[in-house]
Amino acid sequence: MIEKREALAKMFSAKGSKINTNRGAEYYDSLMQTMNKRLAELEQTPAAGKVSITNVLEAEGLDRRDFMKWASAACAALMLPSNFTPLIAKAAELMNRVPVIWIELQDCAGNSEAILRSDAPTIDELILETISLEFNETLMAAAGHAAEEHLEEAMHTFKGKYLCVVEGAIPLAMDGLYGTIGAKAETFKDHLLRVAKDSAAVVAVGTCATFGGVPAASPNPTGAVGVQDIVKGKPIINIPACPANPANITGTILHYVLTGQIPELDHLNRPKFAFGYRIHDNCERRAHFDAGEFVEEWGDKGAQNNFCLYKMGCKGPMTFNNCSIVRYNSGTNWPIGAGHGCIGCSEPQFWDKYAQERPMADTHFKAPTGGVEKTVDEFGLGLLTAAGIGIGIHAIASVIAGKKEGDE
Amino acid sequence: MIKLIEKIEGEAKLHFSFKNEKIDFVDIEFTSTRNIEKILQGKPAADALVINPRVCGICGHAHLIATVQALEECYDNLKISNKAKIIRELTLNFELIQNHFKWFYLTMLPLFGEKQQVLKATYPSQLMAKAIALFGGQYPHTSYAIVGGVVCEIKEMELIKLQHYIDETIKFFEENVVVSESESFLVCDNIEKVLERNGDLPNILRVIIKNGWMHQGKSHDRFIAFGENSYFNKGKSLKTRVSNTLCIEDVKETPSSTSYAKSVSYKEKHYEAGPLARAMINKIPLIKDAHRRYGDSILSRILARVCEISQLLNHSKKLIEMLDLSEPSYIEPSLDISKLSGSGYSAVEAARGTLIHKVEIENGLIKNYEIITPTQWNLSGGTKEKLGVSQKAMIGLGDIKTAELVFKTFDVCSVCTTH
Repeated sequence: MIEKREALAKMFSAKGSKINTNRGAEYYDSLMQTMNKRLAELEQTPAAGKVSITNVLEAEGLDRRDFMKWASAACAALMLPSNFTPLIAKAAELMNRVPVIWIELQDCAGNSEAILRSDAPTIDELILETISLEFNETLMAAAGHAAEEHLEEAMHTFKGKYLCVVEGAIPLAMDGLYGTIGAKAETFKDHLLRVAKDSAAVVAVGTCATFGGVPAASPNPTGAVGVQDIVKGKPIINIPACPANPANITGTILHYVLTGQIPELDHLNRPKFAFGYRIHDNCERRAHFDAGEFVEEWGDKGAQNNFCLYKMGCKGPMTFNNCSIVRYNSGTNWPIGAGHGCIGCSEPQFWDKYAQERPMADTHFKAPTGGVEKTVDEFGLGLLTAAGIGIGIHAIASVIAGKKEGDE
Repeated sequence: MIKLIEKIEGEAKLHFSFKNEKIDFVDIEFTSTRNIEKILQGKPAADALVINPRVCGICGHAHLIATVQALEECYDNLKISNKAKIIRELTLNFELIQNHFKWFYLTMLPLFGEKQQVLKATYPSQLMAKAIALFGGQYPHTSYAIVGGVVCEIKEMELIKLQHYIDETIKFFEENVVVSESESFLVCDNIEKVLERNGDLPNILRVIIKNGWMHQGKSHDRFIAFGENSYFNKGKSLKTRVSNTLCIEDVKETPSSTSYAKSVSYKEKHYEAGPLARAMINKIPLIKDAHRRYGDSILSRILARVCEISQLLNHSKKLIEMLDLSEPSYIEPSLDISKLSGSGYSAVEAARGTLIHKVEIENGLIKNYEIITPTQWNLSGGTKEKLGVSQKAMIGLGDIKTAELVFKTFDVCSVCTTH
């Protein structure tokens, strides 16, 4: 018993794929210098888009205060101390210096949908009007051939500077003919390689673009794979989840504007500021897990009292993402808040493994530590199990992440 | 002449052939697919509830409701509480409403020389997405509906928030779309009165009439809607004759050799699905008036879709009043789904029209799954002898720009169509 408790304490202090929110004054001072330098450089470059944030704010009747309120929220989301807020505000003002080319491949358009309703109106404007979304197929009104010309032009003008944001998987079966684009029927693979080639970095948005997503579900009829399987020799940032949380997309782009670099990544190339959390650790129902209070059946007393959904198949203990903190639809709610367990949508292969409604204990796949979940009932104390799973995951993750950090 | 229809929610390619400077035939091609039906085969039945909403990021919620209903149809005597039924209907309404707003402001407006109004599209659709998130946890891609009911246990607090979201959306509609009190607009039966109003919808209608486009885009004048709930009726309408008996066995899907989209017909004929179809079958006075004057033209189609926003908001308010929170959210099915064998189908009305799901289950595993999407009804191609709905609407037009406008009044959703 004591051993288990010590293990639990270790888990919470373990260096792993979790984000370190306090790195000491020295680190932040040097980070601030880097950012100041970067922003000063950006300020000297011509704007890529025509609209500036000041105009947008004015046009919408939003004042400086609303803007600073947003900036301080974004600052917190990026895990930066509050004295970075003015820098965030400045970065937002300079967002139109960083062109973004957004391409859609084999997908359901769900991530564009999600970003279309990202957060408060202020951020909408930030995303839609000031960062120069050069080529988003859902938003663009230009027609087919004109759109293609526009893409070519954007790629040429911003060569080596633009962020290539990709939504959707890449089907490789049948020579890629399951997905083609444009009048010349270019395969998605060729399209991606062409656009990614001259980009500064590639941002894969959503689980399809990161790990193949639903299209890659067994038996993967179209041979779908993620961006990192195709694009080589470019920095790749994965922002999985289905749909990806708009806050994390904005955060990643902001980070790029602020530093000119990609954010710190975990072993799956996910930004740590967003994926450095385990759903389970920050879950609003966590106390019920610890107390051994579970929903045993949909609609029961436990469900009515927001008990833990672990036994109903919640994959929160296996899933790294910040939805338990950021939530969805401007913070309105998130799946566990609505009484449905987490389906692990930001993890590789969630469609075949995690997404099942069955509790983890009844599935054929094993948690990294082995089948410890069966013990929840026997112990009647979720606490013990939590330590077991937690350490298992962190141990594995930290080995790989540690290596990665060392490599850089 | 090949024309690429721009990438509003996926891509479609239109191959036009001209004769005497008029469009003589249009071949419609959809160029990507994910083969979701194949992915579903052999998977545990409940997995469909997680996979299917992801068929489409635009109307994924309709796919969730269609999935859960199809699975429930596989049971002999499954009970659902009224509360669960109402909640499912509400969230589906919200999806339709937000979709109509986005289509109007993002897709339609630029075609009439107006600026794409991103903020007007996102503001009301954000409100509606929040309303869905209250019940479903997130939007898009919620999986909150389960066989036997819904997982959410809503309380008065959520209802207060919900009322607020709906009232704000109604206010937006009254101040921007058609400047008018909703009460009077809902009973309006004369399009002249709408044209006298201010607002983004009357503006567009006036542009259509001024340019003489009000008779363009006419198709077969045959309408169909399979989805049935407390607001929509199931039925078909031939010109103005409505019949409410439909048989799902008469719906036929035919694969195409050139496109990933399968063509859909009812009793060997192509029917238009969507808001205009629903309004004709539901006999909405204002839309009937427009149809009497302009037939199944782009004007009637645009009017029907935007007016449905107002109707659904109003109906949603009534539904909330009918909610009894003391009812159970979930009633356990007699048999666990992992032991179930059987087959079932469902039909729901998605933003663009009828969505049909058919499923066969053997010992808890999916043996076969078939999805027929709204865009298949309207945009899939037919032959010269038996033209598809949008093909027929484009034939005879003199230029590609107008054809594109006509095509888009049906609304392209290729991700969903080829699934």
